Amino acid sequence: METAKQSPHTPPLQHSTSPGLRVEIGTIDRELKKLWAEGGGTKTRASLINLAVYSEAPGSLPQNTRIISEITEDHACRAIVIAADPGAKENRVEAWINVHCHVSREGSKQVCSEQLSFLLEGPSARLLPNIVFSQLDSDLPLVLWWQGEFSDPMDPQLWAWVDRVIYDSRSWRNFGTQMERVEAAQTEAKQRIVLCDLNWTRLVQIRLALAQFFDHPTSHAHFEKIEKVEIEHAPEFRSTAILLAGWLAGQLKWTDGKQSDNTTLDFRGPSGNQIKVMLREKSGAPIGRCAVRCDGVEFIVTHAEKADLLDVEAGERRCRLPAGQNDAVGLMGEELMRGGPHDVYLRAMNCVRDFL
Amino acid sequence: MSTTEETKTNPLREGLGTRTVPQACTIVIFGATGDLTMRKLIPALYNLAADGELPPAVAIVGFARRPKTDDDFRKEQEESTKKFSRQQVRDEIWDGFAQALYYHQSEFHDANGYKTLAERLKKIDKERGTGGNRLFYLAVAPDQFEPILKNLKDAGLNQPSEGGWARVIVEKPFGTDLATAIELNKVIRTAFHENQTYRIDHFLGKETAQNILVLRFANAIFEPIWNGRYVDHIQITAAETLGVEGRAGYYETSGALRDMVQNHLLQLLCLVAMEPPTDLGAESIRDEKVKIVRSLRRMSVEEISRNVVRGQYSEGAINGESVPGYRSEKNVNAESKTETFVALKVRVDDWRLADVPIYIRVGKRLPKSGTEISVHFKKAPAVLFNRENVSLDQNVMVIRIQPDEGISLRMQAKVPGTSFRIEPVKMDFHYGTSFGKASPEAYERLLLDAMSGDATLFARADEVEEAWSFIDPIEEAWVAKENQPDLFMYPAGSWGPEEADELLARDGRAWRRL
Repeated sequence: METAKQSPHTPPLQHSTSPGLRVEIGTIDRELKKLWAEGGGTKTRASLINLAVYSEAPGSLPQNTRIISEITEDHACRAIVIAADPGAKENRVEAWINVHCHVSREGSKQVCSEQLSFLLEGPSARLLPNIVFSQLDSDLPLVLWWQGEFSDPMDPQLWAWVDRVIYDSRSWRNFGTQMERVEAAQTEAKQRIVLCDLNWTRLVQIRLALAQFFDHPTSHAHFEKIEKVEIEHAPEFRSTAILLAGWLAGQLKWTDGKQSDNTTLDFRGPSGNQIKVMLREKSGAPIGRCAVRCDGVEFIVTHAEKADLLDVEAGERRCRLPAGQNDAVGLMGEELMRGGPHDVYLRAMNCVRDFL
Repeated sequence: MSTTEETKTNPLREGLGTRTVPQACTIVIFGATGDLTMRKLIPALYNLAADGELPPAVAIVGFARRPKTDDDFRKEQEESTKKFSRQQVRDEIWDGFAQALYYHQSEFHDANGYKTLAERLKKIDKERGTGGNRLFYLAVAPDQFEPILKNLKDAGLNQPSEGGWARVIVEKPFGTDLATAIELNKVIRTAFHENQTYRIDHFLGKETAQNILVLRFANAIFEPIWNGRYVDHIQITAAETLGVEGRAGYYETSGALRDMVQNHLLQLLCLVAMEPPTDLGAESIRDEKVKIVRSLRRMSVEEISRNVVRGQYSEGAINGESVPGYRSEKNVNAESKTETFVALKVRVDDWRLADVPIYIRVGKRLPKSGTEISVHFKKAPAVLFNRENVSLDQNVMVIRIQPDEGISLRMQAKVPGTSFRIEPVKMDFHYGTSFGKASPEAYERLLLDAMSGDATLFARADEVEEAWSFIDPIEEAWVAKENQPDLFMYPAGSWGPEEADELLARDGRAWRRL
C-alpha cells in the first residue's frame, strides 16, 4: 500500500507510479481483500465515485498511477486505470491492484482508495466495457476520463454506463469530428452523459475573475457597450482562448460569430453593436491576459508572472485572485469538485464550434 | 427585486457556483483589537480572499479605542492571521488583502468618531468601489451595542446609501434573559430593521449543522420515520474537556444554560425537529425553526426540579492530569452556584414529536469533547428476534457536529455462525474520509452569507425571544428563594452528576456513550 502526505503545511512526498501487485483478472476481488487484510484494520477504504481512466498513449500506466495517487488525496474513488493498445499484434491482458493511502485531515487515520490497472493489447482492447463493468464499485457514479482522441466507432455498451465523461479538447486535432463522435455516443447511450472538457475547466478561475467585475447591478450596463476583447494565449492553447470567447458570446447573447482571420473573431451584440475578439499568441500561462473593453473602461485579468495568481484590475482598482492549476491533477481535482451539469459549456462551445 | 436577486442575474455567473454571490462592501468591525477579530474574523476574511471567494471590492475597517495607524493594524492582523488561519498565509495574497484593511480610532460613545467614520467610508467607496454597501460587525460586549447603534444612526450610517445596503451583525449573547433580549432587539431596531440584522450563531455555520436539513429533506427514506411513531427519543450532547479557561468573568454571569443551551443547542434542536420549509429561503426556514422553539413545552417549578439537572465540576482529572474544581478557578467566586453542566428533558408540542422526549446535556470538564445529535428509534416489535430473553438494541442515527463530523447508523446484524446471535453494527460516514477538502470555517460561511444578504443561518428576533421565554423559568427557579433545585457537584473528567443519568434512567433510557 502506498501512503502519501496530506497536511497542506508539509511538502508533498513522492507519489507512487507503480501499478502495484500483479494479479489475474478473475482474482481481483480476492486479492483486494487480501491487500486490505494486510492493513490490519488500520486503514479506511473510501470511495465516492468510480473513476475510469482510459489512455492509448505509450507508458501511460505509471503516469496515470501517479496522477491517481494525487487525485485521491482529495477525491476518494475506485480508480480503474486502463492502458490500451488496440493496434498491437499480440493479444495481451494484464492486471494490477494497488491502494493509495493518505493521512486524513485530522491526522488520525489513513484513508485509502483502490486502484485497479489493466493493460489491454491487441483484440483484447475491445474488452474494455466488460472489464469496466465487472470492476465497478456498486451504486457509485461512473466518471470516465478519456485521454486523447475518441476512436470511431465508440462502444455504445460502455457509454450507456457512464455518468460523466471527461476529456481535454485541447489535444484534439479535429474538434468537429471528435465532438460529433461524443454526441453520437451520447445519443446512442440514450441517456444524458455530462460532458466535461478539461479545456473548459482551465477557464474556471479566469471566468470567475471576469464575472466578478459585473456583480453589481449597475455594472450590467457595460455588457451592451463591449467593443473589444483581447485574449492572450500560450501557443498550444488557442482552443482555450476560443472557448473563452465562446463563453462571453454565449452568456452575453452575441450572435453571427465569424472568423475574419486567424487572430480575429467578430460577433454582433444584442443591440446590433460589433464586437471584436482579438487572439494573440504569447508564451506563458494558457490564458495570459484577457481584457474586456467597453465605453472607455477596461476590465483586465492577467496571469501574474511565475505565480498561481490572477491580477485583476478595473481602473484604479486592483486585487489578486487564485489562478487555478493547469496540470492534470489540478484540472481533474477542480472538475471533480465542481460537478454539476455543463449547460454553459455546451452553449459556449456551440457559439464557437466552427472555429475550434 | 432585492439586490441579491439582481446580482444573480449577472449572466457571467451562471454555472460558476450555487451560492448567492457576495457583494462588494465595507465591513466595519467594532472591537477590532479584540480576540474574536484576531482569531476568527480577519483569518476568515483572509481565507475567503485566498480562495477567491471574497469580492475584490471589499474593504475592512477596524474600529476600536486604542490609537493605531492603518499600518500598525495591518501588521498586527498579519501576525495573528498567520497564527490562526486554517491555511498558510501567502505573502503575495496577504499584501493585496492588507491594502483593504483600515483602522479607525474612536471611543464607541464618541459621536464625532462616527462622523469621521462616515467620511472615511465615503472615501473608501470611491477608492475601492465598495458601492456604498456597509456591513457593521459588533464584536463587542452587549453593553456597547447601544452607544454604537445610536451613534451609527445619528451619523446616518444605518441608512443604505443609494443603490446600496447597510447591515449589522450581532454576536451572542443576545441578552441574558427575555427582558434584556427584548430590550436589545429594541435597541437594534432603533437603528436597523430586522431584515438588516444578522444575529450570528457560529454553530449554524458548521457544515454538519447545515447538512441536517440535507440529510432530512434530500433523502426520502428518513422523513417518513422522523416522528413519534418510529422515534423513541432524541439526545443532543455538547461536551467539552475544557474548563472556563480565561472566560470566568463572563461564565460566572452566564452558566451553561445561557452560554450553550439558549442558543447553540436549541438551534440544533430546531434543525432536527422542524417541519420541511416551503422553500430554502431564509424566512421559510426561520419560520419553521421558530415554530419549534414556540412549541417547546414550558415547565412549571416542579417540572423544572424533575426535568432539569444542573451541575458544577469539582476537582478531578482530564486525560490523566489533575484539574481544579470550578470554584478554585481564577476569577470564580469560591461559593459560586454557576452551573457548568446542565441536562434537560424537553418536549416539543407538535404533531411530529409530541410523544418524543428530547434530552439535552451540555457540560465542561467532561471526559471527552464532542457535539452530536442522536436519534434513537423504537425497537423492532417483540416478535421473531426481539424476544424477552434476547432484547435488541435500538437503531440509532448519530449526527456528529464536531469533531470528526459525520453521520452513523446503528443497526442489528447476525453474527456469523450457526446460531442466531445478533449484535449491533455501525454504518459510518465521515466527512474527513469521504471528502478530502477541508470545510471552510463557520465564520467564513457566515460572513459570506451576510455579504450576500442571506440570513438563513442567522437567528431572527422572535426566535431569540422565544428561546429566552423557554429558558427564563429555569433560570428563575434556580435563583428562587424557595424550593430551589439543587446544584449537583461532579468530579472533572466524569460524565456529569449521577442525577443526570437518573433523568433518563427513570424513563428506562441511558445517555449515549460518546
